[in-house]
Amino acid sequence: MLTKDLMAASSKPLLLSILAGGESYGYEIIQKVRELSGGQIEWSDGMLYPVLHRLERDGLIDSEWKEADTGRERKYYFISSDGRKALKTERQQWLAVHNTLSKLWKIKPVSI
Amino acid sequence: MENQTRFDLNAAIESWRQELAAQPNLASDDRRELETHLRDAIAGFQQRGLNDEESFWLARRRVGQPQQLGEEFVKADPAKAWRERIFWISFGIIVFLLLTQILSFAVGIVLYYLFPGLHELYVNSGYWPTNAVVLIIGIALARGWFAQSMKLMWFLKNRFHLVSLVVILDLLLSLAQTEFARESFLLHGHHPSVVTWEWTPWLENVLHFLLGYLARIFAPVVFLVLFFPAQNQKVLKRS
Repeated sequence: MLTKDLMAASSKPLLLSILAGGESYGYEIIQKVRELSGGQIEWSDGMLYPVLHRLERDGLIDSEWKEADTGRERKYYFISSDGRKALKTERQQWLAVHNTLSKLWKIKPVSI
Repeated sequence: MENQTRFDLNAAIESWRQELAAQPNLASDDRRELETHLRDAIAGFQQRGLNDEESFWLARRRVGQPQQLGEEFVKADPAKAWRERIFWISFGIIVFLLLTQILSFAVGIVLYYLFPGLHELYVNSGYWPTNAVVLIIGIALARGWFAQSMKLMWFLKNRFHLVSLVVILDLLLSLAQTEFARESFLLHGHHPSVVTWEWTPWLENVLHFLLGYLARIFAPVVFLVLFFPAQNQKVLKRS
């Protein structure tokens, strides 16, 4: 399990990366993060929305109520062009940290 | 199996929804979003073979305590709670003014043609019977008495629809009250409920002016509240 600080810091790149792969809604996002992290990253469901709303206010993502195939309406989030730019920056920074740690730990670095 | 027949999932969701509605910091859109999340989570547990009751309680726990949710949401955007409040207060005032005007207009015309005696009584009373009806409906709505039937009102789900509807009604009403409309076929030139506008004593004229034009002053306020961006950007991310 991640620490609280790391969880908070990583939520932005994680959300932007997921939405860069296509629109999604809260429940699906949480499922995806849980699955991809192998249960290492467990976001509490209700706390995800304030983060999503903040990203939306910052103009990095947009949202829209849409009807799903099941007939139920859900609020879908999708990434904006500003969001893609922000993701690029985030990616560079996280990979910089990753590569530095990799060298220290003698793991093969990842190219940026 | 016994539990499954006794446990009413819809009733449980409804009471959860009411608990959520009691949180002043959660906007209706937030609540709606959380509800879709709860329903998704319930469906997810049901697919894994849990019964209605187990699914509901697990999903509820996962989404979080309503009070805690309210606190988290307001931390993320403290100004939002106030924008919400101002929006609904302004909206309530405008709708009250609008409905009282439309109703008194309509009732005035009906009474004038069907019960002329009652019409005079109604106008002299300052239209209070219709105003009282609107006030009672407003209180009932605010207290959530019609929560069930509100589901049918699709436009309430979209704030843009809601505001547009009010603005259009307001404009139509303003048009109906112009000299042109009074003189035209609608009211055959001289209709008492219109004429009284000019004949009323000054105090009533002032009141009419305030009530009639306040709506037009409040309309921009609503839009300001709707589209005013949040100032608070420094927020601690919570996991």
